[in-house]
Amino acid sequence: MVVKIRLARFGRSNSPFYNIVVAHARTARNSRPLEVLGTYDPIPKKDIYDPEGKPHKDIKLDITRAKYWIGVGAQPSDTARRLLSLVGIMNPKVRQGEPVRPIRMMEPLKAQPKTTPKTA
Amino acid sequence: MPPRLPAGCSAQLANCLDQSLICTAQRTATAAGRPSWPSPTTQQTSSFSTTAPRELTVKQRRFWNWMRKGLGKSLRNPKPDGVNYLGSVIGSEKSPDIPFPNNPQFRSSPVLSDTARERIYENVMKKGLPLKAVSARHGVDMRRVAAVVRLKEIEKRWEAEGKPMALPYAKAVLSMVPTHDCLPDSQPFEAINEMHVHSYTQQQIFLPTSESRHFTRADAAKAFGDFILPPEKKMWVPELLQFEKDVAGGASIKDARVRFLETTAQSEKELGAKHAEQDKIVRENNTRADTDRFQFRFEAINVDSSGKNGRHVRGVGWRYGMPHNDRKPGAVKIPTKVE
Repeated sequence: MVVKIRLARFGRSNSPFYNIVVAHARTARNSRPLEVLGTYDPIPKKDIYDPEGKPHKDIKLDITRAKYWIGVGAQPSDTARRLLSLVGIMNPKVRQGEPVRPIRMMEPLKAQPKTTPKTA
Repeated sequence: MPPRLPAGCSAQLANCLDQSLICTAQRTATAAGRPSWPSPTTQQTSSFSTTAPRELTVKQRRFWNWMRKGLGKSLRNPKPDGVNYLGSVIGSEKSPDIPFPNNPQFRSSPVLSDTARERIYENVMKKGLPLKAVSARHGVDMRRVAAVVRLKEIEKRWEAEGKPMALPYAKAVLSMVPTHDCLPDSQPFEAINEMHVHSYTQQQIFLPTSESRHFTRADAAKAFGDFILPPEKKMWVPELLQFEKDVAGGASIKDARVRFLETTAQSEKELGAKHAEQDKIVRENNTRADTDRFQFRFEAINVDSSGKNGRHVRGVGWRYGMPHNDRKPGAVKIPTKVE
């Protein structure tokens, strides 16, 4: 059976929250997976001290395990592939006729200025 | 045709006219004590009811007498400091800070005035004094000092952006409560070194120790429990202890102050370095990817943190086969601190 990397929806109505899981393809969405690779919170949030900046989405991911599962032939779903391509584990899926969306990777935050609020 | 007056009401009307406190409609009385009716052609400027006002009850009359001649006379206008509570004249326990005489337990505590908040903001942000020093100087809790600085920062930003301010509202509210100005010679605003008394420390423990042992507060704390902290670790401004020790040891107040400023600045610096270190760890474990709309923040985790059966509480993600207690009664979902 095909092993897939996919999202399992948890959370509540109107507040989704996903586990990024490795599971057999034919099992139910929220059944116990082979492994939980991480989480994906799709609700965009703003920084408290930088309300003007771009909203961010939080993802937790065990990159080593994700690479391992891809290496042994696990098939990511389209959404999972999109997330994995953001950290360079896979190439993004490109459909014919669609422009490639630019992704700007940041080094582990060396470019970020050090801001420690005085009152924090 | 002008409205007719019901019979026998003129006396009551005249009575009403005398009591300007109760009558609010503007009207003119003739020499005979009867109001002059506007002619049908002239514009009537105020609505006028011909219904006779209710006569004052005995209690109402007593109340107004009390307000005019009795103890209530002093309550008609606020005092120069802004408040004039009923508890200052009546009640079992007369005190100027009791607004409700039947509940003497309720004391109206002062709040920081805008001058005080501005002064705190200037000390912290313009003069760059350590938070602990500002807190000790004005006798304002550290957390309150931090909150004042945060809110002032927002206020200044809004001012710069030209956002409208609810100033009349703020003024009205502050005029109704006692305020504290944080003047150099004023009393401390609140106790700044109060600490939580852990219930473990309220028991009697018979702990045998040798007589020669120097038994300190740290030892006592350890005797109560491994995680109980001695007071000097729990208080917000422990540097005040050294200040008092210096003064008691014969150092001049000026020297003690200089030392206090130095140590508080040093402790703030160390705290800043600690935060920077934590930030650095977070940054090293995080990767960010910018797309055109959002920034995706990847935090590195370890799948093994969920334990052998995948149910460990430190595991990442929604747990399988375990209840999620976000709707359990009694769970506090309101944030209790500012991140």
